[in-house]
Amino acid sequence: MKFNLITRFSLCLCVLLGANAYAEVSVIVSTNNANASIDADTLSRIFLGKTSNFPDGNQAIPVDQTDGAAARESFNDKVLGKNSSQLKAYWSRLIFTGKGTPPKESGSDADVKALVANNPNIIGYIDSSAVDGSVKVVYSF
Amino acid sequence: MLRIKPTLLAVAILASAQASASDDDLHINGFMSVGVGMLSTDDIAVSGFDTDANFSNDTVIALQITKQINDKTSATTQLVSRGNEAYDTNAAWAYVSYAIDSDTDVRVGRLRTPFFYYSDFLEVGYAYNWVRPPEEVYRLDAFSSVNGIDVTHRFTMGSTDGSVQTYFGRFGGPVGLAGEIYEFELKNFGGVVLNLNRGNFGTRLSYHRADVYSDLDATGSRALDGLLAAATFFGRGDDFDIAGQTSQFIEAAGTWDNGDYAVVAEYTALRQDSEMILDDNAFLISGAKRFDTTTVHLTYTSQRDLTEGDTLQKTLKSNVEVHEQSYILGARYDYDTGTAFKFEVQYQDEKTITGVDGKSGMLYSAAIDLVF
Repeated sequence: MKFNLITRFSLCLCVLLGANAYAEVSVIVSTNNANASIDADTLSRIFLGKTSNFPDGNQAIPVDQTDGAAARESFNDKVLGKNSSQLKAYWSRLIFTGKGTPPKESGSDADVKALVANNPNIIGYIDSSAVDGSVKVVYSF
Repeated sequence: MLRIKPTLLAVAILASAQASASDDDLHINGFMSVGVGMLSTDDIAVSGFDTDANFSNDTVIALQITKQINDKTSATTQLVSRGNEAYDTNAAWAYVSYAIDSDTDVRVGRLRTPFFYYSDFLEVGYAYNWVRPPEEVYRLDAFSSVNGIDVTHRFTMGSTDGSVQTYFGRFGGPVGLAGEIYEFELKNFGGVVLNLNRGNFGTRLSYHRADVYSDLDATGSRALDGLLAAATFFGRGDDFDIAGQTSQFIEAAGTWDNGDYAVVAEYTALRQDSEMILDDNAFLISGAKRFDTTTVHLTYTSQRDLTEGDTLQKTLKSNVEVHEQSYILGARYDYDTGTAFKFEVQYQDEKTITGVDGKSGMLYSAAIDLVF
């Protein structure tokens, strides 16, 4: 997989260049979303389809970035604690039973930010450098 | 039974591939397994294998098409071609799903009977570590689909997520037992499944029941016909007949998975009102350790028929009694996202087969599993 090689190569670069080069990722919701912060366990349950609600009870619709995006790899590893094969196996248990579908692949930082800004039910993650006033950060790592 | 010519599956794949490019509400998913297995000796019987390499028993290809009709309604069909059925294409699932609210779904149509922890994805090899779920526990194959209705309700209590699934339906069709065909009908076929998940822990409890009817005939020549004839001869035909007697099945499973280590244990018990089909208990316990892209797993599984009853019942039942156990050691290698290679060695120890001492032997298996 080309993306994996690039990711591994860039991870090596990060280690070489020191911790500052590691891109921080922010989990974002709309400014109209009432939840102030969301812990990693709840994020994991939302993104694995185990719960369909925010802590305040409103419906949560998670969106993923494009397969192979650095923010997605980082989110999978640090928040979900699963590699892409484990996630594929996890979702294949739900897809073929009609009991769940993975978060919709919704493009890059800018695409996800635009979706989140316009819908208080959508939750996504973007590189922290892309965060602006149109969205609210509920978790970062 | 829904039957479709094999070539239709190819046409459906082509048609759906074109449709998916233009229609956002049409979801196409598929899975495929190509497996090979070989026994060390003809003294044992495992999953239809023999001492020559068999490429068809574990080979299956399936295509699932889901069409979102509106916000609340979708239609799904899963077409499956199996190597051990000459690649005839069947619909394992064909249902319409309606969302009553965001936590409750109703499905009507042909559903997978939720007997076991792995029932929902029984044939999706990619979803588990084994080449196939152990047959000691994963029996009742003939009744793996039910035509009816189910309701699934999801809930959250603190940091515990759960669901309750209730189903009700009917099954009718030919069932093969020890190489002979019987017609079975299950009426008032239903059950309830409770799933709970919290952190690394998961549990599944289920109860199932049906009124069982069959075409047993004391003048027939099949093994169970003979058993009925023998029971009738001793004046006990009513105990052994199958005509509306209740069968019950209970299951309990527990799982734990922290990403590096995983454990699954599952216990099942079948209880029959009729003396004709034996009650039994079966369980498995399996542990796995992940090393990056490779997972190594070890499983112990056992199935034992119960022969209790009065002297005559014990005598007749012990003629068909089965008690067997297996140890399975295997490795799964994740080649990339969506492709896995598996190798497995199974030591099968048949303690008792149809009332006489059994033998033991090995089953060697390998498989490639894909999801797409």
